[in-house]
Amino acid sequence: MPLRIIARLDIKAPNLVKGIRLEGLRVLGKPAEFAERYFEQGVDELYYQDIVASLYERNSILDLVSAAADQIFVPLTVGGGVRTVDDIRMLLRAGADKVCINTAAIRRPELIGEAARIFGTQCVVVAVEAIRQPGGNWKAFTDNGREHTNLDACEWALRAVELGAGELLLTSVDREGRRKGFDLEFIAALAGKVGVPVVAHGGAGTVEDIIKVARLGVDGVALASMLHYGDATIPEIKKALAAAGIEVRL
Amino acid sequence: MTQTSAPLETKYGLPPEVRFCKTCVISNQRPNSDIEYKHTKATKKKTIHFAEDGICDACRMAEQKKHSIKWDERERQLEALCDLYRREDGAYDCLVPGSGGKDSFYAAHVLKYKYGMHPLTVTWAPHIYTDWGRRNHERWIQAGFDNFLCTPNGRIHRLLTRLAVQNLFHPFQPFMLGQKFLAPRMAALFNLPLVFYGENEADYGNPVADAQSAQRDYAYFSSGDPSQVFFGGTSVAELKERYGVHPVDLVPYLPPNPEELREKKIEVHYLGYYLKWHPQGCYYYSVENGGFEASPERTPGTYSKYNSIDDKIDDLHYWTTYVKFGIGRATYDAAQEIRSGEITREEGVALVKRFDGEWPARFEAELMEYLSIPKKEFPVAHGAFAEPIMTKESFLRLADDFRSPHLWTKESGEWKLRHVIWDQKAS
Amino acid sequence: MKPRVTIIDYGAGNLHSVTKAFARLDADVEIAETPELIDAARCLILPGVGAFGEGMEGLRKRSLVEPLRRYAASGRPLIGICLGAQLLMEESEEFGRHEGLGIVPGRVSLLPHAGVKIPHVGWCRIYPASDRAWQGCLLEETPVQTWTYFVHSFQCVPSDPLYSCALANYGEHAITAAVRREAVIGLQFHPEKSGTSGLAMLRTLLRSTSFS
Repeated sequence: MPLRIIARLDIKAPNLVKGIRLEGLRVLGKPAEFAERYFEQGVDELYYQDIVASLYERNSILDLVSAAADQIFVPLTVGGGVRTVDDIRMLLRAGADKVCINTAAIRRPELIGEAARIFGTQCVVVAVEAIRQPGGNWKAFTDNGREHTNLDACEWALRAVELGAGELLLTSVDREGRRKGFDLEFIAALAGKVGVPVVAHGGAGTVEDIIKVARLGVDGVALASMLHYGDATIPEIKKALAAAGIEVRL
Repeated sequence: MTQTSAPLETKYGLPPEVRFCKTCVISNQRPNSDIEYKHTKATKKKTIHFAEDGICDACRMAEQKKHSIKWDERERQLEALCDLYRREDGAYDCLVPGSGGKDSFYAAHVLKYKYGMHPLTVTWAPHIYTDWGRRNHERWIQAGFDNFLCTPNGRIHRLLTRLAVQNLFHPFQPFMLGQKFLAPRMAALFNLPLVFYGENEADYGNPVADAQSAQRDYAYFSSGDPSQVFFGGTSVAELKERYGVHPVDLVPYLPPNPEELREKKIEVHYLGYYLKWHPQGCYYYSVENGGFEASPERTPGTYSKYNSIDDKIDDLHYWTTYVKFGIGRATYDAAQEIRSGEITREEGVALVKRFDGEWPARFEAELMEYLSIPKKEFPVAHGAFAEPIMTKESFLRLADDFRSPHLWTKESGEWKLRHVIWDQKAS
Repeated sequence: MKPRVTIIDYGAGNLHSVTKAFARLDADVEIAETPELIDAARCLILPGVGAFGEGMEGLRKRSLVEPLRRYAASGRPLIGICLGAQLLMEESEEFGRHEGLGIVPGRVSLLPHAGVKIPHVGWCRIYPASDRAWQGCLLEETPVQTWTYFVHSFQCVPSDPLYSCALANYGEHAITAAVRREAVIGLQFHPEKSGTSGLAMLRTLLRSTSFS
């Protein structure tokens, strides 16, 4: 299967924002502009994340999701503040193909199974926000990297898959936004260890970074800063990956 | 709101009626920065001013920053100032005090790399470094700055902190005292006539008049008469008699002599007067230019991970402001981000509701130990305290002495604020 | 005459993208929940995301099962997408045993999983199941080995190769990408999510359908 190149858009409606270590609300522009550009460039998938939904306990990106679906004809995964089965239903109706849950799944893990049974496991992505600990393992966080859970990130990820998650989005909070490479050890701890697709997220700065994480056996990479700041275009990335022997959709 | 038969007692000279700014989330109970070494139990606080239209001075200042201040003109003034003081003969030409946090990183970096100055940086140590705070300080130095770190006598610092808590419920005071004096003192020592602080306190609601001049009033940090000086609300004489504090122990906390400063023509300027300050912008700047690291976890009492993260005492400091003024950390952070345009007032209110006043459990054990005065370490001072060992329980009991009745009421054994921003009717 | 497409709403998600895809191609889109609208449709789309059992329940609750069978028998184009394709089959084994519409002979089974991950999520290249399998349907202008987007755990398994229209290679396995019975075609992949290639298939559908 070709490695999926995914554009990740952090959204504080109505803007595309970009933080560092999931902190900060720097506005980069309107999500639709960036999403359209990536669609034209051949992106394989889009991830829209409402990064303040959990913080404010509200949901604001339905309109943006609908607008995206108007113009973009590649898969769209939406996350951020997804708390109930009804939230999922509304997002799918608005045009999302998959929904991504983190905070709600940790607070009530049964939600994963419930959602999987109603909508199908393929609709349910569980995002794991991991922060490296001094001891060498990782702890899982919720609320866009803000709240402790005391859960071991890897153990939680495995459990989420057992409960019915159809895909894992592995975010390294420490690495994200810095463009200095993925947390390869974290990704390696899970890629190839679970029976569902794994998407690596957090830290991509160069094509070499993507190649390194691809070789760990991930199914997709979610890119944000690298794309939004124009470090590389999607065609450039795909060409370089193909040249390195990694299958991509060209 | 029920009318009581007699007006409620107000502590600290705070305004009896609680009002919230129409555009940000701060309340009129917010105390302005004060002259700390005059601070005793009897001190009446000056608080942030609200205009007729219900908008606070800090928001007013933010409006000026956005619309009326001519920033290119201000920058020209800065360039002229730098041109005047810049030295190319191998000596430092300005002093930048700071912690290596986002603001001082930005200040030192931009002065050096954009305006061609040769800063010496100085740091007044936090009470208790957080791991990431220590790393960020190191990164600051690694970004290209000479730095002097001044760490006061740990035992004296602890004693003064305990006294400040006991008498004023103000754990941050010893830090603030030393911080204010370190820069001018070091400037005098190194014969550096130019000191740059970062943000102007008027950005946070200290009287707007202050912002008209970039030079800090000497009154803020210098005094001619040592007997007019109080630490932790305790006079120097009492510190000696009851608490075994030797005069030399107070050296780092004493204000420098204004005469010496005048003689050496030491000038203190706010960089925030010349450059439009954007705290979250400083966060990005310091990450992108020096690898600054946000805290890996949300600070208790707020949602933020980049504001003021290097001292564990901060956790208690903001909890005490919540007790004394009804204003917690989330309020401060949200007010700042509303004025900078990062979030809306509505979002700020939601954040205040969710996080303000949260008890800082994460460093609790370490902080209670820090505030304790055991006999072995403090043979003299130990006897002067009714309860020398501080516990969470005794701390909470102490807190009750500082709750002003006009702000707090007890409902079913729980303390509740009488006025909260999320319950305000629109007027 | 402007093409008019009828899309069935049976509570199984993902109407928006399909609707917008056809809108982008300048077709009028009508959302149908009732038997009458199905009877009157010229070009019917059965989309779908979710579990088979829930899908059939949604159709039953709205009394759409018989109208769909009737419509299919009339020879007008019926396009099932993803879950919609699976519902065309006779039965499925997803979360228990469920009866389907029975329009295309065969069943729905879990994907073979030796050496591959379930669900199958991602891009896959499709090719004809047999020489002339793509002629006379919306795939007739699609280049062989075109990338299309899949997201599923189950696949249609026609009881006769006659009904197999397109295949894709998933690991070592050849899986069903499309089933077909005359004018009824079930696409396991999502044409409305397969970029410009997918849109081109829908364009072919509109061009080849008689709307008068």
